Amino acid sequence: MPLPMYYFLAVTAIYILLSWSIYLPYRVMHLHFMSVANMTISGYLGAYAALSWGWPFMLVLVVGIVVGAFVGWITSFAIGDAPTFAVVIVGFTYIYISKTVVENTDALGGTLGLFNIPSIHSDPSTSKLLLLIIVYLFVILMGFLIHRFENSRLGRAASAIFVDHQLAKSFGINVKRTGMFLQTWSSAMGGASGVLYAYLMRNLFPDFFTFHLIGIAMTMLFVGGYATMWGGLLAAPLLWGGPLLFPPEIASWRIVIYGTILVVMLVLKPEGLITRPLVYRIESYFRRRRDRRIPS
Amino acid sequence: MEQSNTLLDVKKLEVSYGHVDALKGVDVTVNQGEIVVLIGANGAGKTTLLDTILGINTPRSGSIQYNGTDITGRSADINVREGLTIVPEGRGVFTSMTVTDNLLLGAHHNMHESSDKIERVYQWFPILKERSDQMAGTLSGGERQMLAIGRALMSAPRIILVDEPSIGLAPIIVNNIIEILVNLNKEGYTILLSEQNAYKALKIAHRGYVLETGQVVLSGTAEELLEDPAVKDAYLGA
Amino acid sequence: MEVFIAQVINGLSLGSVYVLLVTGFNLLLLVALIIHFSYPQVVVLSMYISWTVMNLTGNNIILGILAGILSSIILNMAMAPIFQRVMRNRGQVDINSTLVISMAIGMIVTDILSHGFNRGFPISFSETLAGNQSSLTIGLINISQGQVYTLVVGIIGVSAFFWLLYKTRSGRAFRAIAEDPSGAKQVGIPLLRTGLASYALTGLLGGVTAVLLAVLLGSASPGLGEQVAHKVLAVSIIAGLGNLAGGLVVGLGLGIMEALIQGYVAGSWSNAIAFIILLVVMLIKPRGVFGMKL
Repeated sequence: MPLPMYYFLAVTAIYILLSWSIYLPYRVMHLHFMSVANMTISGYLGAYAALSWGWPFMLVLVVGIVVGAFVGWITSFAIGDAPTFAVVIVGFTYIYISKTVVENTDALGGTLGLFNIPSIHSDPSTSKLLLLIIVYLFVILMGFLIHRFENSRLGRAASAIFVDHQLAKSFGINVKRTGMFLQTWSSAMGGASGVLYAYLMRNLFPDFFTFHLIGIAMTMLFVGGYATMWGGLLAAPLLWGGPLLFPPEIASWRIVIYGTILVVMLVLKPEGLITRPLVYRIESYFRRRRDRRIPS
Repeated sequence: MEQSNTLLDVKKLEVSYGHVDALKGVDVTVNQGEIVVLIGANGAGKTTLLDTILGINTPRSGSIQYNGTDITGRSADINVREGLTIVPEGRGVFTSMTVTDNLLLGAHHNMHESSDKIERVYQWFPILKERSDQMAGTLSGGERQMLAIGRALMSAPRIILVDEPSIGLAPIIVNNIIEILVNLNKEGYTILLSEQNAYKALKIAHRGYVLETGQVVLSGTAEELLEDPAVKDAYLGA
Repeated sequence: MEVFIAQVINGLSLGSVYVLLVTGFNLLLLVALIIHFSYPQVVVLSMYISWTVMNLTGNNIILGILAGILSSIILNMAMAPIFQRVMRNRGQVDINSTLVISMAIGMIVTDILSHGFNRGFPISFSETLAGNQSSLTIGLINISQGQVYTLVVGIIGVSAFFWLLYKTRSGRAFRAIAEDPSGAKQVGIPLLRTGLASYALTGLLGGVTAVLLAVLLGSASPGLGEQVAHKVLAVSIIAGLGNLAGGLVVGLGLGIMEALIQGYVAGSWSNAIAFIILLVVMLIKPRGVFGMKL
């Protein structure tokens, strides 16, 4: 596989996971960016464990997910039902702290970065292929779980909280527990993306895990459409892949381009490209076709 | 003639919130110097009508004429400048601001001679002068209603829209407020009053309209309405 | 003890910058009804513009200061239509979309700073503006001119702001909208126009802050906006969103705390400690210490 293709597929998968990890808490109106901090924590922890203690990939991945979920879960006790803005700032604070700690810890490579994270197979190209398969299997698994969640009791509870916090409470919905659940899930996904990213790239730089990463994932979510899981899935390859085709002078202004697209989108079509009614229409279209094929 | 006498003329006014029709073609006329009362149950559309006249809501269709000019869809701040004002439902005073600040807000568009205006309001409501440096949140319900009326007077209005002034007030204070409205009317202010307490309102009004689910179902002089069997049955509790 | 006193003075001048920023942020929150997340980043953009003008005019300080203040007002006013356009869709769209828009603006600003000025390298202001030379020495305590300017202008700025808020017609309208926007509309206060005035006033506050930051720090980097933004927003949360008096106390408190940490803990860890303390307070009190005004 050509290298640009590999990087495109790898980074796209990470952005899909990241935009979903922002999407999930946003189901209850929480703009939670902690998953980026979880990426840093689990990614570095995993890379260090693999390099220094020789942990195998699968163990690192599982530990990365568990650590992410744990950090998210502990934090969610405090902010599971906090106002949106407080959640935003708590997420940012985590990112700053984890970044500062990494930058000042020599064992993690400091500002220079951490290199030579082991590959999962002795043959480099097999290793890459294998990794991509695992990453996309993970994306499919997450997509399936999120889809199940949407159509569950919990998903409907989240939708009610999104529309009206107080009203949802009066229905007997446990707002805090729903928020905690989604924040924990988001952090677990963040942890997973951190480990996967570390193995895909085989190196880590603290400068990667900052505000601009959030900006990109947020653009994908809000341009794609924040009301369903399909928005991020569709927008991630388009928005990430698009600028790769631009000449380098323009591509270096990528963040300005993303920011502008996001502003224009929020002003003109705040609900994003893929809206919930659109998804309903597509789903019912397929359902009808399937029903027609089954003889009565 | 009658044309020159008409201060406010609402024609076929329709207002909807999303899919809910709040007003379905309402016609209301208020002449210079009158007290006109809108009677109706909760949700009949009284507040919507007053808010739309002031310019808070944009009507879907119909027209509002004020003083001979079409003001349909004109924004509230211009209407207040031109002499329309409202005493909102539930008093609507700013609780974290002083009584003086609340009064001065009424004159926001024209601070000219505001101290004279305040003195005049204090003559109407001496209790407000005593309370002038207190936060409006510390006032009693009746005092807040006086403050809301005083604030309306600060804008030098020609017509005052009064929305449910008696709600949540003790009967003796309601009488007090009603008396104030009568006196204001004698001073030359035109009043369009929405009220659930139909009997007391009709007693002081010149004319009245009965609103039910966004439509005018009955109108006439106050005496006619007081004698009307349907009104008696539904609103006067007789 | 000398270190302590010196750092407290240091912290007060840093804190007054935070207070100015958090006041502007809260004003927009209360009157324009937006969460202008990246307001401090726009302030840093004004610092850069001021620096550019000084570079072009051979370090003309007056023109530099004017450029900082004017650009801040213009930038703020220019963003108003974007926010007000989103406000008009209110009902379906809530205040969160103003937050996301502001973050997008922050992305654009930071990227412009790291590409468009000085090839992305940190900028440093001329010595005459920066006022690094110490003006006062008592024992071991050194107070630089810059610190004195910042503290004095900060106090004047905040007092002027509160005077405007409590003693003028516009201030009264601001407070009315802050308490009850729909009630203010019924009284006849033009919401959009008053909102626009609050953008202009915030721009003025931001411009003054940009100049003070240049005087106090003497330099700026593309990442400065994000870092200051983050601290200011944490202050606004800990103080309670929209709580102006709370912002005053917490802003000064953060300044002093940071200066003290810097006085006793070496290097870049001091930043991490400040953030950890902020995080702990936010986790304990996500609705603020002094209560939200919204």
